[in-house]
Amino acid sequence: MKNPLNKRLLRDLKGDAGKYAVIFLLLVLSIGFVSGFLVAGSSMIKAYDDSFEKYSIEDGNFRTAQLLTKAQKEHIEKHGVEVFSNYYVEREFDNGTTLRIYADRKEVDKVCLMEGSIPTKKGDIAIDRMYADNNALSVGDVLFCEADEQEYLITGLVALPDYSALFYSNNDMMFDASAFGVAVVCDEQFLDYSESSYFYNYAWKYDNKPAGEDEEKEVSDELCEVISGIADLENFIPGYLNQAITFTGEDIIGDKAMMEVLLYIIIVIIAFVFGVTINNTIHKESSVIGTLRAMGYTINEMILHYMSMPLIVTLFSAVTGNILGYTCFKNVCVDMYYGSYSLPTYITIWNGEAFIKTTLIPVAIMITVTFFILRSKLSLSPLLLIRRDLGGKKKTKAVRLSHRIGFFRRFTIRILIQNKSSYITLFTGIVFANVLLFFGMMLPPLLIHYQDIVTDTMLARYTYLLQIPAGAVDSDDMLSAAFSYTVLQKDINTNNPDAEKFSAYSLKTTGAGGERVEEVTLYGISDNSRYIDASFNEKTVLISSSYADKYGLGKGDVITLKEPYEDTYYGFKVTGVYDYDGGIAVFMSRSHLNKILGYDEDFFGGFFSDSKITDIKSKYIGTVVDEESLTRVSRQLMISMGNLMYLVDGFSVILFVVLIYLLSKLIIERNAGSISMVKILGYSKREIARLYIIPTTIVVVASFIISYPLITAVMVRVFRIMLKKMMSGWMIIWLDPKVYGKMFVLGILSYSVVAALEYLRIGRIPMGEALKDME
Amino acid sequence: MQLELTNIRKSFGEGDSHIEVLKDINLTVEKGEFVVLLGPSGSGKSTLLNIIGGIDSADSGRITIRDKSMSDMNEKMLTKYRREHLGYIFQMYNLIPNLTVRENIEVGAYLSKAPLDIDDIIETLGLKKHQNKIPSQLSGGQQQRCAIGRAIVKNPDILLCDEPTGALDYNTSKEILALIEEVNRKYGNTVIMVTHNDAIKNMADLVIKLRDGVIRKSYRNEQKIKARDLDW
Repeated sequence: MKNPLNKRLLRDLKGDAGKYAVIFLLLVLSIGFVSGFLVAGSSMIKAYDDSFEKYSIEDGNFRTAQLLTKAQKEHIEKHGVEVFSNYYVEREFDNGTTLRIYADRKEVDKVCLMEGSIPTKKGDIAIDRMYADNNALSVGDVLFCEADEQEYLITGLVALPDYSALFYSNNDMMFDASAFGVAVVCDEQFLDYSESSYFYNYAWKYDNKPAGEDEEKEVSDELCEVISGIADLENFIPGYLNQAITFTGEDIIGDKAMMEVLLYIIIVIIAFVFGVTINNTIHKESSVIGTLRAMGYTINEMILHYMSMPLIVTLFSAVTGNILGYTCFKNVCVDMYYGSYSLPTYITIWNGEAFIKTTLIPVAIMITVTFFILRSKLSLSPLLLIRRDLGGKKKTKAVRLSHRIGFFRRFTIRILIQNKSSYITLFTGIVFANVLLFFGMMLPPLLIHYQDIVTDTMLARYTYLLQIPAGAVDSDDMLSAAFSYTVLQKDINTNNPDAEKFSAYSLKTTGAGGERVEEVTLYGISDNSRYIDASFNEKTVLISSSYADKYGLGKGDVITLKEPYEDTYYGFKVTGVYDYDGGIAVFMSRSHLNKILGYDEDFFGGFFSDSKITDIKSKYIGTVVDEESLTRVSRQLMISMGNLMYLVDGFSVILFVVLIYLLSKLIIERNAGSISMVKILGYSKREIARLYIIPTTIVVVASFIISYPLITAVMVRVFRIMLKKMMSGWMIIWLDPKVYGKMFVLGILSYSVVAALEYLRIGRIPMGEALKDME
Repeated sequence: MQLELTNIRKSFGEGDSHIEVLKDINLTVEKGEFVVLLGPSGSGKSTLLNIIGGIDSADSGRITIRDKSMSDMNEKMLTKYRREHLGYIFQMYNLIPNLTVRENIEVGAYLSKAPLDIDDIIETLGLKKHQNKIPSQLSGGQQQRCAIGRAIVKNPDILLCDEPTGALDYNTSKEILALIEEVNRKYGNTVIMVTHNDAIKNMADLVIKLRDGVIRKSYRNEQKIKARDLDW
């Protein structure tokens, strides 16, 4: 005979549709959203990684002032590389944007066609897919170049694998895929451009790829010297330093940190929800369970029965969640990546890690939590179960309440005391729900705030970091190096009275304790600086406030920094913190820094200025930090992190509402019997609301208010850990006070809807039925 | 001999609130007997029933059922004992709310290797018309009939009834008592019924009167009265 209890399963599902729907939704959304994200991320990373081989991505590129002769090329190729011409021209278009135009690439950095066709005739152009999206361009549209007085018909949308992040210059702090893009034209069109507008860019591939970045640095340094020895080298970027190639991979990996934090929060919530719901089921059914146990049903039979429905719902949710994860949720996340990066086409790949983290772990948690709660509760004697005495605690004496308190108020207090364990559960659940909401709602304002303040915290309106063109200084020959430098002095000086010299150097953090390695800019400040409001002596080492905040550093701490790709370490004792939130930086006197680096006392590497410097050739200017470039950084940060944050935000809000619904429903259901009973006694609806709904409301409101400082303390720590993993540089964690208001309103609204629904439901129970239920 | 209780003692609480509920209870019940445990509230009758039913334990003493000692049984063996030998009827019906009358009876049948015919039981209990209804569609008496069906369908050796008419009106109570009497006659189960209703003693083979945890009086009825003829 089949177990007749199984016949209950479907009816349980129907009877408790609200609860199961909420669990289903919670799991489907969590599994779907997180696995969708992880699947999209891993598929994108795979597409990105595979693109190196698939599209034969260069190992580096360099640009010379003139066309390389055959002999020069052969000479370079003798040094373990193969060199490919990859010339380009740059054109400004009528939409105010700049395109870097290449001829179709056949051997290296091959073009990935995403829509339309590769240009075959003059006047055709295939533009970068993301640039097209950002400028609302599509196949068939026409672009006009004033300089050439030429119209271009867009025949295709492409991704160039060496421009997955559309950096105009490798020195740029960030890329701007709205103002700059890349494109390809057919050979005929390319040859039509005047040679004077050619940029003689060459890509190289190693005959034997260096094993690691250290070796790659060594090999590429040698190559740089070889090329600069025979040609006028304007630019030299080994692959591992090429932001246009490497940035995307690093960023996609960084995003995972946010999703993992979310996942951990969700896992705790899921465990909690299962614990609460199964506990509630046992409470509701305890006398039936006790009777069945008294009849001879074994504990295991009971456990199996009460686990079946949650297990079925969980498994069904897991399957649905994964299907949605691999389809629509993945597509949302993929769109997000395509919105940030110019990635080639991808193929969805199975992600075992996502499956374990989003599906196996929640299912295992559900089984474990449900099993242990059932095991402990069902092990109680059938007698205790029949008597609904599940607490296992001895009855304590009733709390004495003064008779001076009115009856109604005393009744309300009694209800509060009687339900205290339920209210503790409700409070815990509200804390969890608010953690989720906080996580989702606090991040976007944090980013917007960062965008707002970043331009306010500039060291100067313009900060110029100079670059000495590769090959200009021969590092092997000290004498000629000194000579070259002296010659360069006049080119890298300015008559701008606002300009103030500083020396600068980049070092890296050591990544101790598995932390993300990041760049630290060391500024050597001139005496009596107009831009840096601090006095320096030979021992002063100030760190920027964002550096101090990110790593929890202060006066007296010692920081160790490392020369990139070398085993040279520098130790600095921090003597103070300089109020600068714009970057991870160290400030000291110019002479101090120059001495450390072994430079001449007068050496400098850039200018601070409050007005634009116009008399230094652009080829000597590496990076300009001004309002525009910082806005670009924060804008791109908004694009690359913001989309994800808004997704997380929306997701958290939905889960919050669902969770509050479930918790409030459970607590009001627990009181349903008592509510019906007082209804039978003749209490009016209004009085019942005063007795039962209002105490719960008080607890809900109090829980909201108490939970905020608690969550804030915890989540600020969580944010710090997460942002440290996610980003180079730092955003000072700023919490928008308005968000607390929004969280409160959302919480109260969600609760009110549930309370109203439950109250109506109780109102509908006929009193006779209520009496029967009481039996 | 079906059941033997020797020197059963049971107390609750500690210190000031220590109460001895059962004091040296000795009792022997023969197979097929209808036993009524009679006593006022707090006399220890329900506790005694629960100890016999293996859902509560005695502090000391010995219980043997069909020459098997219950005192040596662990939780697993006790469950097996209940499953194979006992049927329970409580004052609260404790039916499964989303199973029909028939299905609730099947819940009991599932526990037995050789259950009684469900249709026959439904017929005997007068539930044929109601067999596809769920408990909330039934009156209290009908629900208790269903609970009786659930208890007897596995044809237990002993049917334990804890105030089965406690929540029912006069007429329904008599109907239920008549049914239990019928079950006892038809299927030959031993019935042990706890009640505080003095009139019910007249339908029993063996009457045990308890007060303050002690058997005050124990006797066998020479002339039993049928349940339908009881009056109170």
